Amino acid sequence: MTAPLVKFEHATLGYGRRVVLSDLSFDIPPGDFLGLVGPNGAGKTTILRAILGSLKPMSGSVTIALGLRFGYVPQRDSVDYNFPLKVTDVVMMGRYDRIGVGRRPTREDRQRAIDALDHVGIADLAERQLSALSGGQKQRTLIARALVGEPNILVLDEPTNGMDLVSTTQILSLIRELHERDNITVLMVSHALNEVANYVERIALTLEGSFRIGNVDEIMNEQVLSGMYGIPVEVDRFDGHRIVVARRLATRERLTGTGGEQRHD
Amino acid sequence: MISTVWLFKDALYGALVIALACSVLGVYVVLRRIVFVGAALAEISSAGIALALWLSGRGLGGELTHHPVVFALLFGLAGALFFSVGQATRAGVPPDATIGVTYAVAAAAGILLIAKATVGEAHDIFLQGNILGITRTDTFVLLGIAIPVLLAHLFFYKEFLFVSFDRETARTLGFHVATWNAFLYFTLGLVIAFAMQFAGVMLVFNFLVLPAVTGLLLARSMGAIFAIAIGSAIVSAIVGFTLSVPFDLPSGPAIIAASGVLASIAWLARRGLRRA
Repeated sequence: MTAPLVKFEHATLGYGRRVVLSDLSFDIPPGDFLGLVGPNGAGKTTILRAILGSLKPMSGSVTIALGLRFGYVPQRDSVDYNFPLKVTDVVMMGRYDRIGVGRRPTREDRQRAIDALDHVGIADLAERQLSALSGGQKQRTLIARALVGEPNILVLDEPTNGMDLVSTTQILSLIRELHERDNITVLMVSHALNEVANYVERIALTLEGSFRIGNVDEIMNEQVLSGMYGIPVEVDRFDGHRIVVARRLATRERLTGTGGEQRHD
Repeated sequence: MISTVWLFKDALYGALVIALACSVLGVYVVLRRIVFVGAALAEISSAGIALALWLSGRGLGGELTHHPVVFALLFGLAGALFFSVGQATRAGVPPDATIGVTYAVAAAAGILLIAKATVGEAHDIFLQGNILGITRTDTFVLLGIAIPVLLAHLFFYKEFLFVSFDRETARTLGFHVATWNAFLYFTLGLVIAFAMQFAGVMLVFNFLVLPAVTGLLLARSMGAIFAIAIGSAIVSAIVGFTLSVPFDLPSGPAIIAASGVLASIAWLARRGLRRA
């Protein structure tokens, strides 16, 4: 059996004395395509920081496979587009650690950057200014930057945030294509369950301090989701796609909040 | 006119060294949106000088107080460390408010200490700067600081760029972001502490901000923004200085005015390019 890339063993995560999530135990095996889903404030970023090694568990352990290379794609808006950088310059940053401190990128590094851009379908934008690109093109640039470092696992933080329907579909399709074509392990963090559920193979759902992980079929059923969200939830299928719909609450439930209203801050 | 300016050539060389060093660092200051960190660091360094003068006037602090530059340096570097750590941890107060508080307190402390200092005759000139007073020795001292700082920025350009542009990704690739940030702020504190003694708070702030803004308005690559920032800082230093001597104008404000004209031309050129 292949060793997992990331292994949580009874890990409790939090900041200072405040516990965000407790007793987490799960693995991310090689070849996995995992969606980490939950509303804002539910602990997704906390889990992500533990995986990326910038947050130590309060108890238990989070083990990262030796020599594991992350291909990290940050939230698109966390990047400062004020910098006058060309698309290739940004992509080459994904190789900065391989290039070494104090050294300059070589012609090979530049070629690899262009190859990575080609891999995500925007080689023709290599000489364009990053700030001049559309949201989808910026996202592809950041994905290319993550890939150029030849990572073992691609980690994407809210890759479709703020995108329209077309761009969202294109980016999610690209991520799935990369997973299938290159067999790269993917961890995709998102607040949008309906978007993620139709692309990933496994889902880790975090809500109000609770956490559940399983195959898409295990998580995307009415019993599990109704229990997690605390309101009646329907999982419908349309043309092979799963759609989660919250059932309309009765008037009394809406007025009193007894339907298990969730905080989505 | 040229012969008059030539009398002050050492001062001009000193001003050019300050312009060069500050304009390079200013690119990071502007792009990272920490322009008021530059102003606050200059005020903190000036408060260090004021403290040295105050202690010296009271016969306190011994020999050390005869070298205000040491105080300026210590204060400047302490300020740089404070701001670099603040950037990393983000304690409850918003970063810009922290900078504002530091600026106001340092400026007031400097003025109060100077008001009660009894040594020296032109304290305010020390704080405001006196470009014309730069000697050849001062220029060599400035070069001794500027050259290692500029070489560090040339050598570690890639690292400074990465932690400035996208610190989260840099961290995931194993870059020690806090250390690189502290190093960047260290070079900033070092240059400001030395430069402000000669150029004063206002002119140092000008060289940190206006040339980089001029570069940002016109450049389409990082190389170009550095080149334009350096070029405009040098040109404004030469033009402002050259005009200030024969017309008996204060050199610092004259240089700042020249920087302002160049930034305005860059802004107009940018508008023109967008419309074209």
